[in-house]
Amino acid sequence: MSDREAEIRARLTAIFHDVFDDDEIVLTDEMTAADVEDWDSLSHITLVVICEKEFGVRLAPAEVGQLENVGAMIRLLVERAKS
Amino acid sequence: MSTEHQDKATDGKAIRALIRAGAYEEALRAMCAMAHPRGDFRSQSRLAKLYRKIPSGALGLQPLKVALIGTSTVDHVADSLRFWLATEGFDAPLFVSEFDTLEQTILDPSSALYRFEPELVWLLTSGRDVSLAADFADTDPMAAVAAAVEGTVSLWKALQSNHNCFIIQNNADLPPRRPLGNYEGSVAWSGLNLMRRYNLALAEAAGPGVAILDLEYLASQVGRDQWDDPRWWFHSKHAFSVEATAVVAHAACKLIASVRGRAKKCLVLDLDNTLWGGVIGDDGVDGIRLGEGDAEGEAFVAFQRHVLALKSRGIVLAVCSKNEEEAATIPFEQHPEMVLDLEDIAVFKANWVDKATNIRDIAAALNIGLDSIVFVDDNPVERALVRSELPMVAVPEIPPDPARYIRCLEEQGYFETTAFSDDDRKRAAAYRANAQRATASTSFADLGAFLTSLEMKSSFGPLDEFHLPRFVQLLNKSNQFHLTTTRYNEGQVRGFMNDPSRRCLYFRLEDRFGDNGLISVLVLDLPEPGGDLVIDTWAMSCRVLARGMEDFIAGSVLALARNHGAKRVVGRYIPSPKNKLVRLLYERLSFEQTEDRDGTTSWSLDVNTAPAYDTHILPLPTDNPGGPQDQTE
Repeated sequence: MSDREAEIRARLTAIFHDVFDDDEIVLTDEMTAADVEDWDSLSHITLVVICEKEFGVRLAPAEVGQLENVGAMIRLLVERAKS
Repeated sequence: MSTEHQDKATDGKAIRALIRAGAYEEALRAMCAMAHPRGDFRSQSRLAKLYRKIPSGALGLQPLKVALIGTSTVDHVADSLRFWLATEGFDAPLFVSEFDTLEQTILDPSSALYRFEPELVWLLTSGRDVSLAADFADTDPMAAVAAAVEGTVSLWKALQSNHNCFIIQNNADLPPRRPLGNYEGSVAWSGLNLMRRYNLALAEAAGPGVAILDLEYLASQVGRDQWDDPRWWFHSKHAFSVEATAVVAHAACKLIASVRGRAKKCLVLDLDNTLWGGVIGDDGVDGIRLGEGDAEGEAFVAFQRHVLALKSRGIVLAVCSKNEEEAATIPFEQHPEMVLDLEDIAVFKANWVDKATNIRDIAAALNIGLDSIVFVDDNPVERALVRSELPMVAVPEIPPDPARYIRCLEEQGYFETTAFSDDDRKRAAAYRANAQRATASTSFADLGAFLTSLEMKSSFGPLDEFHLPRFVQLLNKSNQFHLTTTRYNEGQVRGFMNDPSRRCLYFRLEDRFGDNGLISVLVLDLPEPGGDLVIDTWAMSCRVLARGMEDFIAGSVLALARNHGAKRVVGRYIPSPKNKLVRLLYERLSFEQTEDRDGTTSWSLDVNTAPAYDTHILPLPTDNPGGPQDQTE
């Protein structure tokens, strides 16, 4: 894992802790909405909006739809994050 | 991660720990301290989420039924609104209508909305719902505006005829597209200007019982580029950017709080570096920065103008400053650019006593609750002291730059209102006269002599159209002198006016210091001959406390009872967190207690053995439209 990826993973973990109000969450690439309590369509939008702000990215609705796996999310952020 | 986020994350953890430990009230206090209406989406959604962890009912907040009927996805708004209402002391189990079923929900009298029996209904619409005319269609654009407004008004009517409730209606945020570009602002018939006309016509159509939530203003405040995020409309039908959620929820919350009498009434101001730049005791009247020619001095003048406008609309002003009183008044008397006058200040406290004590004294002199006070002070130490000593006082975090004072107050929405009556205009003067009366009373040895010196006169009578707005306002705003804390909206009160078995009575009071306006309201059930006259509701403004007005009113009710051949006058006291003041009112008025159920007491007064109430108030014939019918009853 690159330093960049580790850093983004750590920031994303903090966001997950916030959004799902659970500090025990450990992110894995295979993790999907089904694995996290409360990860419904509403909190998915919350998650995306907070990530956009935190990482300085803007996502198209189609991309938002494909983001239900954490690995995909991290890959996208590594590629696009401005900060 | 920014340090700001780290700090907030730490706070979040601490609050979570408090909630886990069952310290819910402390958790809510910490959340209130963290919450700011312009806070970023991340902290807003965390607060909403944390609040949801607190078991419903655990905080002992006042229950309030609010229904949200939206034409878009409103779940984020609902979450945020629940939290903000909690900061105002309300536990609001929201009813949220199914997506895009506004008309069906309202028009079907058997819909789940009406089973929920909401006190307030918020029609969370946006400009997207207002269809005025197809682009450049060859139709009458004004007719399209009128038809759109009519459509909205007909929904209000349906809502109010199916269920008595207060309605909050969003107006239209302006469309983010201008096919004609800037020219849209240059001609009256453009899509953009028609939408502006729609908003004006909607405001004109909104009568009592309906308040407009100015969504268009909020959109411009957030900034149109941030407000409009069509991705989320296409993706999940969010009518405006998800990040603007809390701004909208907070604005609605403040409106709802004001309907329920929670708006602030009094602004307590520091002087040095709050109303002018510099320290009057050190710099002297020539040295303080105030007025033209100096950027800071102009900012202070602008702030004073804003404060004066608040006073003119009925917000009471007080001063609380660490100063010698003699020095503190000099700018008011001598500085040519001072906007505020000593006359504008109801209570003036300049001394070296701590500010919490002074603010308590101000509240006592004005006879208002500490929770209706906003305290503005540039000094963070004073703010911290007042926050910790008097957590119910609102203390905005005023920025160091006076140019930003107004915005800081505006953002908080302290002084929202859904009505504006003549009495509001006069209120500040009345409070000031009240504080003067309090001072005058200290110079009388005998209370009777003091009350006589006030030259009090009261006009009263059955409620008429003229007094209706203030009657409803007082009924719903009073907390302390309110025997039963019953709330009736305008529709209900109007119903009572037309009901021959009911009688709504209003009382006004004037004295040599001024007209206090309408100060007490009663809803009575009239008796059958030989039966009971029931005092259903009795509320009075605390401004006229300890003046014998209660006795005067009791005497009037007794006379009414006698004229209707009643045998008894009966009333109840229902305890609330705020009405201890009147727990023993009926006892003092010679009623006998007939029942005590968990603190709710029932009282009765035999018409034949009732005392003659001794007061220092003269009855005055009314000269208002709707006039003095049955004064003598």
